[in-house]
Amino acid sequence: MNKMVTDIAVEMPTGLVQPEQENIDGIEYPKQTIGTPLLESSKMSMRNVDVFYGDKQAIFNVNVDIGQHEVIAMIGPSGCGKSTFIRSINRMNDTVESCKVTGQLTLDGEDIYSTKMDPVALRARVGMVFQKPNPFPKSIYDNVAYGPRLHGLASRRAELDEIVETSLTRAGLWAEVKDRLDQPGTGLSGGQQQRLCIARAIAISPEVILMDEPCSALDPIATAKIEELIAELSQNYTIAIVTHSMQQAARVSHRTAYFHLGRLVEVNETEKVFTAPEHQLTEAYITGRFG
Amino acid sequence: MTNLNKSRAEQIQSSLAKRYRAEKRFQMYGYAAIAFGLLCVVILFTDIVSKGYKAFGQTYIQLEVTYDASTLGITDVNDSQQLALADFHGIVKKALKSRFTDVSGRKAKRDLYGLISNGAGYTLRDRLVANPELLNQTETLWLVADDDIDTYYKSIGSDAGAFTGRMSEQRQGWVDQLVESNDVEMRVNRNFFTQGDSREPELAGIRGAAMGSLFTLIITLALSFPIGVAAAVYLEEFAPCNRWTDLIEVNINNLAAVPSIIFGLLGLAIFINFFHVPRSVPVVGGLVLTLMTLPTIIISSRAAIKAVPPSIREAAIGVGASPMQVVLHHVLPLAMPGMLTGAIIGMAQALGETAPLLMIGMVAFIVDVPGGFTDPATVLPVQIFLWADSPERAFVEKTSAAIMVLLAFLILMNTLAVILRKRLERRWL
Repeated sequence: MNKMVTDIAVEMPTGLVQPEQENIDGIEYPKQTIGTPLLESSKMSMRNVDVFYGDKQAIFNVNVDIGQHEVIAMIGPSGCGKSTFIRSINRMNDTVESCKVTGQLTLDGEDIYSTKMDPVALRARVGMVFQKPNPFPKSIYDNVAYGPRLHGLASRRAELDEIVETSLTRAGLWAEVKDRLDQPGTGLSGGQQQRLCIARAIAISPEVILMDEPCSALDPIATAKIEELIAELSQNYTIAIVTHSMQQAARVSHRTAYFHLGRLVEVNETEKVFTAPEHQLTEAYITGRFG
Repeated sequence: MTNLNKSRAEQIQSSLAKRYRAEKRFQMYGYAAIAFGLLCVVILFTDIVSKGYKAFGQTYIQLEVTYDASTLGITDVNDSQQLALADFHGIVKKALKSRFTDVSGRKAKRDLYGLISNGAGYTLRDRLVANPELLNQTETLWLVADDDIDTYYKSIGSDAGAFTGRMSEQRQGWVDQLVESNDVEMRVNRNFFTQGDSREPELAGIRGAAMGSLFTLIITLALSFPIGVAAAVYLEEFAPCNRWTDLIEVNINNLAAVPSIIFGLLGLAIFINFFHVPRSVPVVGGLVLTLMTLPTIIISSRAAIKAVPPSIREAAIGVGASPMQVVLHHVLPLAMPGMLTGAIIGMAQALGETAPLLMIGMVAFIVDVPGGFTDPATVLPVQIFLWADSPERAFVEKTSAAIMVLLAFLILMNTLAVILRKRLERRWL
C-alpha cells in the first residue's frame, strides 16, 4: 500500500476537525478534498484539474494521486463527473470537441496534456475498459491482437499468438474461448465480451487501466468474475475504476474517491470511507440518502 | 364498487376492440398500398415486355443470290478498294428480280427492292471477303428484311389485324408468296445486340448505347465514390463544427435537390467550354453525372458513418488507434454496406439520367459502338428517347426493348450491390 502524505503540494486537513467549507448552490463542499487524496509516490497525479464542456464546467479543481499498482474506485451520484474525470486521464475527451481540460495531469511525472505527449502513445500506456462491452465485430483473436498489431508489439505470428493467449488467460477467458478464437467476439455473452475487452486492453501491456463502470451492463455472476479479475490484475497494473455500486467499490478498491457534482469531496482508504466517512456528503451518499 | 370495476373492465374491452379494429384497418391500408405498387409494376412490365419482346426477333427472307462479278463491278475479290465500291445491293436487286419476274414499272420495282434491308449488301460483302471462291457462284441465303416487312410479318395474325401502313397490296402479295414458299423466317435479332444506332430500324442496335452507358458509369463511379466517401469521412470524422462546415452541409443537401439539367448546363459551361473536354464523350458525361451523384453519395455515406456505434470508435481509440486508423480499420468497414447502397442509388440515378446529357451533346446520332472513354457515345435513356421520337413503326418495339435492356442493367447493378453488401455486412452488438 502506498504511503499517504498530508503536507505536500496542497495543504490537507488532518484528523476529524471539520475543514473549511464553502457553500455552492446550497450544498456545503469542503474547500479542499478531505482525507488522503495525495500520495508520497504516485503513478499518476492530477492537480487543479478543471474540465469544461463548452461553457459548462463539469469538474472543479480536482487534486488526487493514483499510486503504483493501486485500485482506486471513484463513486458518486449520477452526473457527478467521475466518468468525465476518468476519461480526461487518457485524453479520451480529446474526441469531444467542446471539451477542455485544464490543470496538471501527469503519468510518471510526464505531463499528459503537454504538446510533447502523443495521445496515441498515451493510450497505449493508459488502457481503458468501457461501460458497455464493445468488442470489435471481428474474431476473438483479432480483437485481442488488434492493439499489439497497431503498436507493432509482435514481429512474428507466434509472438502474437502468445500475447493473445496470455492476455486471454489473464482476463480469465482463455479456457472458454481457446477452441473458437476465429469466431466473432460479438457472439460471446455480455460478461465474456467484457472480459474480452479487458483482454484487449491488457494485450498492449498498459501501465494503468481505466475502467468506466465495467460491470454496469452485466449480471451478478459475470460481475463477480470481473471483480475477481480486477483483484488479480491489481498485482501488475494500476487500476482506476468508476462504479455505481458502492459494494463493488468496497470489494475491489484500496482507496475510494467520492465525487459530488464535479467536486472531489473525499478520498480515503476504502474501509474508512465505508465505515467512517469524514464528510457529511460522503456519509449521506453511502448511507443511501441520495444517489 | 364491483359494478364500477366491472364496467371499467368492459370499457377497456370495448376500447380494445376498437383499437384492434383500427390496427386492422391500418394494416389493410398498408397491404393496399403495397398491392397497388405491385400492380403498377406488373402492368408496367407486362406492357413493356409485350411491346418489346418482338424486337428480339427479326424477319429474314430467303433468296438465291449470285455473286455476279459484272453486276458487282469488280474483277479482283482481294482488292479492298474495289470491294468498297462494289454494288452489293445490285446483286440483291437482281436476286429479287429473278424471284418476282412479273414486276414492271419504276415504283413497283422500288417497292420490290425495298423488301430487303439496305444492310443486306454488307452481309454479302462480308461473306464474299471471307469466301473469295464464291465470286460468280450462286448460293441461297437468309437476308434481313426491311423494317416495313418486319413490322407487317410480325403483326400477321395479331388481334388488331396485320399492320399495313406503308405496305401496298402488291407488297403484301409478295410477302404472302414468300411465306407460302417458306422463304420468310423469324430469327434472333443479332443486330440488336451487336450494332450501334441506325436510321434503319432493322439494323439499329442497342450495343452502342449500352457501351456508352457502361463507360459513362465507370467514370461516374470511379470519380464519385472515392470523392463522396472522402468528403463524407472528412465531414463526419475530422471537420470542426463551425459555420463553414454548416454552410458546406446546407449546400450539399441543397445540391441533392437541384434539377439535373442544371448540372448539364454546368458541365457544358465548365467542362466543355472552359476545359475543352470533347463533347458527346463518356468522359464528359461521367464528369457531369459525378457532379449530380456526389450529393447523394455524400449524404448516404454520412448517414452510414453516423450509424457506426460510437462504442466501436471509443474501443479503437482506447487501445491507441490514431484517428486515421479508427476510420480505416473500423468506421469504413462498418459503414461500407451503407455507403455502397448510397452509391448504387446514385449510380441508378445516373444510369437513368437524360436531361444533363442532352446539354453536353450525348444526344447525337452515333452509329459506331464506342470503344473507349473518349469515343463519341450516347447512353441508354437517351437512346430510348431518340427511338421513341423516330417515326418508323418498327422503332416502337425497339424502344420497349431498349427499356428492357435498361431495366436489366439496373437489376444487374442492384443485384451486384446486394451481393456486395451481404458479403461486407458484419454484425455488431
